[in-house]
Amino acid sequence: MTWLNLHPLTFLVFAPTLLGFVLMALPHKVGKLSRLLGFLGALAIFILSLAWLLGHTPAAGGTILAERAPWFTLVGLPVDYALAVDGLNLWLVLLTTFLVPLTMLGTWNSLKDRLGTFAALFLLLETGMLGALVAQDLFVFYLFWEAMLIPMYFMIGIWGGDERRYAANKFFLYTLSGSLLWLVALLYLANKAGGFNPALMAQAASALSFGVQSWLFIAFAVAFAIKVPLFPLHTWLPDAHVQAPTAGSVILAGVLLKLGGYGFIRFAIPMFPQAAMHYAKPIALLSVIAIVYGALVAMVQRDIKKLVAYSSVSHMGFVMLGLASMTVIGTQGAMLQMLNHGISTGALFLLVGMLYDRAHTRMIADFGGVAVKMPIFTTFFMIVTLSSIGLPLTNGFVGEFWILNGTFLSGFGWGRLYACLATSGVLLGAVYMLWMFMRVFWGPENKDEDSGTHHLHTDLNAREIAVMLPIVVLIVWMGVHPKTFVAASEAPVTALLQEIKAPAPRVFVLKPAVPEAPEGSETHAPDAPTAHEVH
Amino acid sequence: MSLTPSQWAALLPLLIPVFGACVIVIMSLDTDQATTKWIRGAMYGTALLAVAGSFWYLTDLWKAGSQPAFFQLHMDRLAQFTGIFVMVAAALTVLQSWDHFHQEGWVKGETLALLLFSAVGMMLFASTTHFVTLFLGLELFSIPLYALVGTVRARSESAEGGMKYFLTGAVASSCFLMGGVLIYGLSGTFDLAAAASILTVKGLALDPLVLVGAALMLLGFLFKVSAVPFHQWTPDAYEAAPHPIAGFMSVATKGVAFIALLRVFPGSFAPLGALGMKMQAVVAILAVATLVLGNLTALVQSNVKRMLAYSSISHAGYLLLGFVAGTPAAYTGVLFYLVIYLAMNMGAFGLLTAFGLVGEHTTFEDLRGLGWKRPAMGFAAAVFMLSLAGIPPLGGFYGKYMIFRELVGTGHVGLAILGVLASLVSAYYYLRLLVALFLQAPSAEAERLASDRPAVHAPLAGAAVLVCAVIVLAGGFLQYALVDGFAKRALVEGLGLLR
Repeated sequence: MTWLNLHPLTFLVFAPTLLGFVLMALPHKVGKLSRLLGFLGALAIFILSLAWLLGHTPAAGGTILAERAPWFTLVGLPVDYALAVDGLNLWLVLLTTFLVPLTMLGTWNSLKDRLGTFAALFLLLETGMLGALVAQDLFVFYLFWEAMLIPMYFMIGIWGGDERRYAANKFFLYTLSGSLLWLVALLYLANKAGGFNPALMAQAASALSFGVQSWLFIAFAVAFAIKVPLFPLHTWLPDAHVQAPTAGSVILAGVLLKLGGYGFIRFAIPMFPQAAMHYAKPIALLSVIAIVYGALVAMVQRDIKKLVAYSSVSHMGFVMLGLASMTVIGTQGAMLQMLNHGISTGALFLLVGMLYDRAHTRMIADFGGVAVKMPIFTTFFMIVTLSSIGLPLTNGFVGEFWILNGTFLSGFGWGRLYACLATSGVLLGAVYMLWMFMRVFWGPENKDEDSGTHHLHTDLNAREIAVMLPIVVLIVWMGVHPKTFVAASEAPVTALLQEIKAPAPRVFVLKPAVPEAPEGSETHAPDAPTAHEVH
Repeated sequence: MSLTPSQWAALLPLLIPVFGACVIVIMSLDTDQATTKWIRGAMYGTALLAVAGSFWYLTDLWKAGSQPAFFQLHMDRLAQFTGIFVMVAAALTVLQSWDHFHQEGWVKGETLALLLFSAVGMMLFASTTHFVTLFLGLELFSIPLYALVGTVRARSESAEGGMKYFLTGAVASSCFLMGGVLIYGLSGTFDLAAAASILTVKGLALDPLVLVGAALMLLGFLFKVSAVPFHQWTPDAYEAAPHPIAGFMSVATKGVAFIALLRVFPGSFAPLGALGMKMQAVVAILAVATLVLGNLTALVQSNVKRMLAYSSISHAGYLLLGFVAGTPAAYTGVLFYLVIYLAMNMGAFGLLTAFGLVGEHTTFEDLRGLGWKRPAMGFAAAVFMLSLAGIPPLGGFYGKYMIFRELVGTGHVGLAILGVLASLVSAYYYLRLLVALFLQAPSAEAERLASDRPAVHAPLAGAAVLVCAVIVLAGGFLQYALVDGFAKRALVEGLGLLR
């Protein structure tokens, strides 16, 4: 037990990999056993992470658990094996450990072959995601960031749809292109700083000229923006999402995209504050374009999964807008929106997967009147849809409202205009989601022999309901009492933004927003454009 | 003239394979070798024993440290490093050959003898700064390889590839010889280190003839590492050669040529500082050309062996970038890179044997779906390809990482960016192999061919592949141990760099 007490994070990060290798070594014949073992392992990791991360009282700096040891020194650059969970990544870590077993359970019967290998790759992916989230040394972060690609590549490529090879290659190479250029920037800065410690690197960066800082920031930003994905670097996402198996889509939307936003808040913005302030406007502009464009494209999709994929572009645009606002409430909104999107869009992909498993089609036109055949499914889909379009009392509302609020009050010249433009994205979100919902679930039952509705014979079973219930609970919990999920990140976000903008006179506009935000959000509803469109 | 016991000990790693090769040649006089299994077994056993003996004495020497030079033979750490490198490659080749030549139905003892002679030549080549010995080593390792490329005489392509390789190789050797002669003519000594000092003292460091001489010698090295524009032989020779021999050439020839280049150019020619700068600019241009051409041509190959050939050309580009950075840390990176490259490329060629692909049936089509049929081999293939592409956390990433880091550190940011872009391109064609292995179902034609062939049993090649996979994985997690304990010591105690 002593080893475990000293290295809880190492255990959390690498236990999935160990189990994954065991599953990989098991023969194909016992695939069902492997699937069960994988699920139980992931569930155990989730329970452990809950117990360890919520059970520890944070230290003075907000750190909940931390490990740090020198790892190696290569070509003169020391690398520390540094992991930590603090306010910024606590909930993202929990989201990851939560979504992995949930997705495994939710897609229990979706796949027919090579179940053991799939579970193994899923667990390797969990290691990559958790490692990247908790890494406190940029080299270690880079290792996990890149290693994550490998299992995802195989998950899309082996179990994906008809265009899976194209989608897998595109996903891999697109992401790799950003991170390889980022590696050069990383090496450049590490060379100046003499190591990969983020604090040292930030210090070294501040000594560089603004031009160099800008280039480095752009290299960081592009690598992260591809992952988010920010317009116009989003083109890999629809392919990857549509072709990936349900479980892959859920994790892609639920966690992988979050790592882009997390990279900004953890590394890119704190390390290059000046450049981040300078480039806030173009990032915000791209975010607004992503919000509106993603929504418009989603509107015309005929494939439900593709629609959800483009809605991801739109929703992640909100995250980036919140980060670009450089206000506490906007950034906190972005942190919450990341969790929201992980829950809501993850749930949407799960639901679309459940529908597809029954009907073997995802085309909106193939459905109609599903509500008659699958009432329980329809109820869950309705709740998740409402959460996705940001109905008050659901999680989507709070995040988007804070982000818009933060952007409006950012003090940047563009803040008000962009907030208004982004608000139209909320409206469009309601349009495409509800329109899709209407066509699929309501209306007369589609009696056509070839239609999807015709093939729906069973409503959700107990397993599927068990998967959806915790999601619904979270949707409401996060909508009613979001403070649970953002309290931890408030202190680090506030400190970060104060540091960035210390000399700026804008700081006063932040103050009213911070304390009242969690509880006061509903009372603000009439001011928020969000509410009107939804009703 | 007599040798002291310690000198004998230093010579043993060279003598044992020579002795083993002679025994094998005698054994292969038996005309029944194609039919009598125990003779074939004895020949392979002898080869493995010779390699193991040489390896054993090399590790002994490594424990003892650098040996004083005698007969222009420097049995220093760098030479011992080379010896271990070559012997590991030779052992893997012998293991794979057993299965491959049985699949081809062409088991001949002389291939093993030629392989051992070639290995001895390689060790000689990388452990001297005396031009005559250097040239002797070059020819001793090249001539057996010319023969080995064309060894399966039943295949006409094999002879054609061997002849191509021989003709171009002969030209390159002549250029190398001419370069050495020019240096000798101006300095009056064959010892390259002494020649460099003499030329500096005479003020001839930038004499046009010295430049021409050095450039011709450089050409010889670049031909052996298959850098652009001296690369055309590579794909043809690899395609013609039996798989294990192609693997051996891609790894050992390139490796020893880089080590010898390291010993001669940054090593012996160090006093000729200005010449070094001129050569560095040339090397930078050629490295860029190698990376661009190698990677782009590899993209469009349909034959796995040709793809691996262009991939090996592009890897020469990355290694040359290490020479452009030119710092001791970069050379450490080059040596580490070579160690990992040995494992991943020997492994990649070994896969062809392990999957039982013979003759011309080495296209991506032929590999379809095989990863699921042989999961362990498939896993190893994923390790090799991702490592070749430089994806962390595998060994190949750290080789590139060290070289790129030194490039950035010495101000060559542009070259580093070009290097990572080349890596990106390379990821595509390495993924193609994984696509074929895992993401595609076997074609009907391949299924039919597979059912025609007897079931593949390649236990030795499979074992060799797994050893390679373990080395690549170890390179990803114990990289510091390999660098500090092996690569850096070879450089420090071999060339006296980093002191």
